[in-house]
Amino acid sequence: MKRFLFIIFVLFVQSVWAQTEVKREVVGRDIGQLKGIKISARVIDEITGEALVGATVTIPETNEVLVSDNNGGFELTLERAEYNLLFRFVGYETVSYPITAVGEGRILVKMIQEDFQLEDVVIFGRDPDKNIRSTDMGAVTLSMNTLKELPPFLGEVDIIQSMATLPGVTQVGEASAGLNVRGGGADQNLIQFAGAPVYNPTHLFGLFTSFNPDMVNEVTLYKSVIPARFGGRASSILDITPKAGSVDKWGADLMLSNYSGKISVNGPVVKDKVSIRGGIRGSYINWFLNSLSNPDLKNSQASFYDANVVLSAPVSENNEFTYSFYTSYDDFGFASDTTVSWRNTSHSLQWKSKLTSKLSMEALGYYTIYDYSIFNQAGGSSDFDILSGIDDIGGKIFFQYALSESNRITVGGEYKQVKIQPGELIPTNEQESGILPQKVQDELGTEAGIHFQHEFELGEKVGVTYGLRYDTYQYLGPRTVREYAENQPLTEGSAIGETTYGDGDQITTYDGLGPRVSLRYSFNKSTSVKAGYNKMYQFIHLISNTATIAPTDVWKLSDTFIEPQIVDQYSLGFYKNLKGNIFETSVEVYYKDIQNVVEYKDGANLILQNHIETELVPALGRAYGVELYVKKNLGRLTGWVAYTYSRSLRRVITPYEEEIINDGEWFASNFDKPHVLTLIGNYKVSTNTSISATFGYSTGRPVTFPEAKFDFSGNSLAYFNNRNEQRIPDFHRLDLSVNFKLKGQGRFFDGDWTFAVLNVYGRKNPFSLFFVDEAGQPPQALRLAILGVPLPSISYALRF
Amino acid sequence: MACIDPYVVEVEQGEQLLTVEGTITTAPGPHVVKLTRSDTYGSVFQGLVRPVRQATVIVRDDLGNVTFLRENSEQPGDYLTPAGFSAQVGSSYTLQIQLATGEVYTSLPERVETVPEIQNLDYQVVRIPVEGEINDRSGVQLLAEVNDPSDQNNFYFWRTGISTFILKTRPDLFTPRPSDSNPSRDPQPKDCCDTCFQSEAINNQGIFIATDDTFNGLSTRIPAGFIEDDGIRFVETHRAQISQISISAEAYRFLRLVKQQTEISGSVFDPPPANIRGNMISLDNPDEVVLGYFMAGAEARSEIYINSSELEFQQPVTIIPDDCRELPNTSVDPPIDWNP
Repeated sequence: MKRFLFIIFVLFVQSVWAQTEVKREVVGRDIGQLKGIKISARVIDEITGEALVGATVTIPETNEVLVSDNNGGFELTLERAEYNLLFRFVGYETVSYPITAVGEGRILVKMIQEDFQLEDVVIFGRDPDKNIRSTDMGAVTLSMNTLKELPPFLGEVDIIQSMATLPGVTQVGEASAGLNVRGGGADQNLIQFAGAPVYNPTHLFGLFTSFNPDMVNEVTLYKSVIPARFGGRASSILDITPKAGSVDKWGADLMLSNYSGKISVNGPVVKDKVSIRGGIRGSYINWFLNSLSNPDLKNSQASFYDANVVLSAPVSENNEFTYSFYTSYDDFGFASDTTVSWRNTSHSLQWKSKLTSKLSMEALGYYTIYDYSIFNQAGGSSDFDILSGIDDIGGKIFFQYALSESNRITVGGEYKQVKIQPGELIPTNEQESGILPQKVQDELGTEAGIHFQHEFELGEKVGVTYGLRYDTYQYLGPRTVREYAENQPLTEGSAIGETTYGDGDQITTYDGLGPRVSLRYSFNKSTSVKAGYNKMYQFIHLISNTATIAPTDVWKLSDTFIEPQIVDQYSLGFYKNLKGNIFETSVEVYYKDIQNVVEYKDGANLILQNHIETELVPALGRAYGVELYVKKNLGRLTGWVAYTYSRSLRRVITPYEEEIINDGEWFASNFDKPHVLTLIGNYKVSTNTSISATFGYSTGRPVTFPEAKFDFSGNSLAYFNNRNEQRIPDFHRLDLSVNFKLKGQGRFFDGDWTFAVLNVYGRKNPFSLFFVDEAGQPPQALRLAILGVPLPSISYALRF
Repeated sequence: MACIDPYVVEVEQGEQLLTVEGTITTAPGPHVVKLTRSDTYGSVFQGLVRPVRQATVIVRDDLGNVTFLRENSEQPGDYLTPAGFSAQVGSSYTLQIQLATGEVYTSLPERVETVPEIQNLDYQVVRIPVEGEINDRSGVQLLAEVNDPSDQNNFYFWRTGISTFILKTRPDLFTPRPSDSNPSRDPQPKDCCDTCFQSEAINNQGIFIATDDTFNGLSTRIPAGFIEDDGIRFVETHRAQISQISISAEAYRFLRLVKQQTEISGSVFDPPPANIRGNMISLDNPDEVVLGYFMAGAEARSEIYINSSELEFQQPVTIIPDDCRELPNTSVDPPIDWNP
């Protein structure tokens, strides 16, 4: 293996060196200048014309590496000489650009997305030694090209489930909607698409992610020191950027798998000025449900779709407008006459502008809606609909001033208004209904934040980023708020009165300063240590009785009783790249304190609950862990190994006997999984065939076992006492896929076949264990496995 | 793809906690208070829920009247109220227990609230698909029509009572077990009888409760009971009984947790296990956990005749090759109040 890697390495080095007799472009107007020749370079995507932000240029002659700015631009200061510039960008072919610099001038470099044209070398990850050089901690960017190297889930790339292969990121179980980042809850992640928050990015309760991969440019997850321009969520930010269409020519992507199909079209509306990309994806999963043996699923009906439109207008070299529309819809009809449905819709408009060569600006406005409902249609007088929803409307602006390549200041502000409709029950048959209409009071809140961040280097060795964010939140009327007797738990019985607030009246307000600091010390070009601290505030809570995000969940704004979630995170990391950045390795350690998470009273009743504070108990959280990561970026074999040891704990401190959980001691949260191991590999068998594999292992999540059984009214019941003290069996699963590319057949289209098998050895990984009493049998433990069998998929993708 | 299968878990030795199940109502008794001890969760043999015998059990009302319950000699651990005892609307009751070993327990007081009459009783056939079986299970769901009073917050609990139905057997197919004295394997028909009236106490299949939060002051129909079709009960005419009992908010909360646990289906949306806390406490050791609940409420009863010809789905008739009088609780004469 070592020898093999060596050969790959030699081949790679040779391919870089193999440029002896080349045509050299003479750049600049020759006025006999010898030094300080300024050349501005700009890199764009050859097909779409998009600026490539974060691309690098390497100048081997001066040993310099520069990173492109928000507009894809570089400023090179050179002497009069010949240079062999190397432009690199994740997912793109490296461009070698030999020049002779004679005077001030410009160059425009067009880069093309790599497919399999690079025979056996793939660059996989952002510019090669960024992980060492930057002060960022815990920020991972994956391009769609990287994600496509992973085995597909049910026929296609799944963004959320791919994120869960990174260290420190887990999911409760298979097909669960949320992510748990470094011990945080599923509601502690801000998932934003084109800058607009998305509350439930799933189809089919988490079996699919509701982002069409063909509409996504790249995905960045911030899990450690989160840049000051992001706020509002306590654990992580998942920033998904949409992909613009081509300003040059029309094209289309089509994919069909045995579960779903999608099509997208893109091209110039105004050539070289305005492009459009539109995509739609839908499922035909009913055949699959009907083939299942479980009678509840067999008689269920599911349908979903998602659709996107991206309009991009790079109106000038310095100004670009992007409008994005996104919607996803699901409905699932259970055999029992109950249908649940949910829909996300968001609009966002972004303006990116380069005001001067040093100052750039980004402004964004968005409107996003998440609606979900439960319909009960048994056909009697007790039929009803329960409608719930969230509306967010907001804007943000930020400026970046680059004093130099490594000395940048950003400042900005953000404002949003959140309106929650927690639930309204509407009887279907208004005239003769046996049930009353019911409505939980709507909630209204505003959040505003201002932020500042400065990033600079002190010599070669030290990099510093520090920033501050100030968040303020207001909880507004109209609303009637209960008062409870002092020194008593909040219950129906301790309510002593009510206060009514009028439209727009301030009910309560919270604010806080969130500092962000990270320091980097480089031992050399391939080794560094970084330390960071940040504090985050979150003014919204997901109140859920289940382990996954579901349409039965309640989103709740912070109010008089439920205070904002606050997270303090300390992290430390050691980073080393080996063999000329072929291998990236890192060790990160973190510790988190979480305030004001909520736990539930036993048997809490959350749906249509006007006084949800009576069902909850405030809790503290604590999470810590070590993450080890080794990634191989280049060669026929690429991939990574991630191992994490972590704990996520909760504790309830209360003066009231009846609210005590687990004797007031620390106990495991629902998603505490101490050991997590992920192995991912992609092997290029030939220029058009690759095999990839993912193996995941984790400790089983905590569950509560009965401490005894007892009889009551003819039922054998389980007596549960302390929560989460036992665990379900460990999780492990292997997924494999094979991908064939048919390149340029007849120069009409590129085709792409993917065969995949999830859960190759058919392990019944339990999602949960539960305890039932069936008539005539002793009560027993049963296990629910979501993916109990090997699950094959086949998909065919075409690009016109 | 998704599947549910049995899983063996290692459960620690369960605690033997005192469990109380008792309801007294305004109806004539006897009312039963059942005392048992919990045991290890697991197989039948591992943990046997055993009755608690020879306890002194009393019900005390808020005026200080004390009623002693006596243990049922046929059903150890069941304590019965004496003849003539029934709860009174507006009174509060506590249950007090002294075990043979001396420990003393009490319930929190439960107040008896009024209950509206059942306006009407109706039924519908319910089919339940079973995984891996071609034939669905089925049964009759009883629907109670309630005229909910608007001036109070009502909590309802329904129990199925004694069902009486026409039992059809085939005495002509009677075939005794071959023995030395009677080695024949052929049917030896009996002359009588192929039609009886059988009565059966139907165990509640599931917990039927409601709160008027969603229907305060309205008239509404609510599922109040379920009687499974076992191929015997619904062959001709079936008379079902339902009791509608007013319970306290706390009792409702307790029963809601019981219901939640019995309805866990193993979906990803199941609520997490909840500690089902009752209203019994130990007077000797406040930390001792006592399971179960003592309820007191007003009771309204109603009955309905269900004719098999009106059921749109039935199980195949179970053939019983014997004299119908051989089965328990049967008689060839209809009950005096039989009035289909």
